[in-house]
Amino acid sequence: MAGTIIADTLTHSTAGSVTTDYVVNGSAKAWERHNASHSIDNSLSVSSVTDNGIGDTTVTYASALSTATQAISGSAGNNTSNDSILGNAAVQAHTTTTHRYLIMNSSGVAQDRAFNSTLIHGDLA
Amino acid sequence: MQTPDFKGTHLFDRLCWAKERLEPVQSDYRVVFEDSVDECAKILVPDPNWMACALQGGILPPVWVYHELAKDEAQPDFKKHTRGYLLHETEPMPAMTEEEAIEYLIMKDIPQHVWQSWDEGNRPKMVICKKEQLPQTRTWRNAWRISDELNLAA
Repeated sequence: MAGTIIADTLTHSTAGSVTTDYVVNGSAKAWERHNASHSIDNSLSVSSVTDNGIGDTTVTYASALSTATQAISGSAGNNTSNDSILGNAAVQAHTTTTHRYLIMNSSGVAQDRAFNSTLIHGDLA
Repeated sequence: MQTPDFKGTHLFDRLCWAKERLEPVQSDYRVVFEDSVDECAKILVPDPNWMACALQGGILPPVWVYHELAKDEAQPDFKKHTRGYLLHETEPMPAMTEEEAIEYLIMKDIPQHVWQSWDEGNRPKMVICKKEQLPQTRTWRNAWRISDELNLAA
């Protein structure tokens, strides 16, 4: 493909070197940010989000992962309240194309938030 | 903009190409579905970057590819996909209309047991609507169900 650079190592003039394995394996393979009505503001490699109920969302990826052992991180909050906890929904295990998560307040009650985002690290299929 | 010949290019690379070049398309379509009697109705919201890929054509694999991978994943001894090449080496889908893209997305992202028998039984298990047709407040969100009196011709 035009514009392709094939390299196993990147070297900085003074700061040292890093192998490109770190770049390939360490970059997020999917991410999304959506609002309280689940409209997606921005994303990469996501085909949809599903609103499962208050504070409960499933994200489906466009490019599948090789295993369902992805690491998921995220954040959620409102303009006035950021007491949000993001947790995996135990009722449904992750798959190679989905993860489901819950947003709760500090009392453990599911809540909708204005800003919700998750990002996924893992290996692509 | 012309889509490059992407057959054989990793799907993730195609998605990165599209994100850099295509304007996201916010669809007003929503798909409401019920996949469990113990849970409220769920609402599928299309991703705007994915929708841009669907309308552009030449980027997304056929939906049967995802079904094949899902079959592999459903095997009890599944550990890792070994047929990921199907995503990258299968001839990509041509450009779709927004409505065709929603139909594709239903078959990709909604459980098969819902869309394969959506109109069987006493009432529909799935409805395609516009976002303005959904309730405007979420106060009773966890009680939402598909109406028994739904006019399917609407």
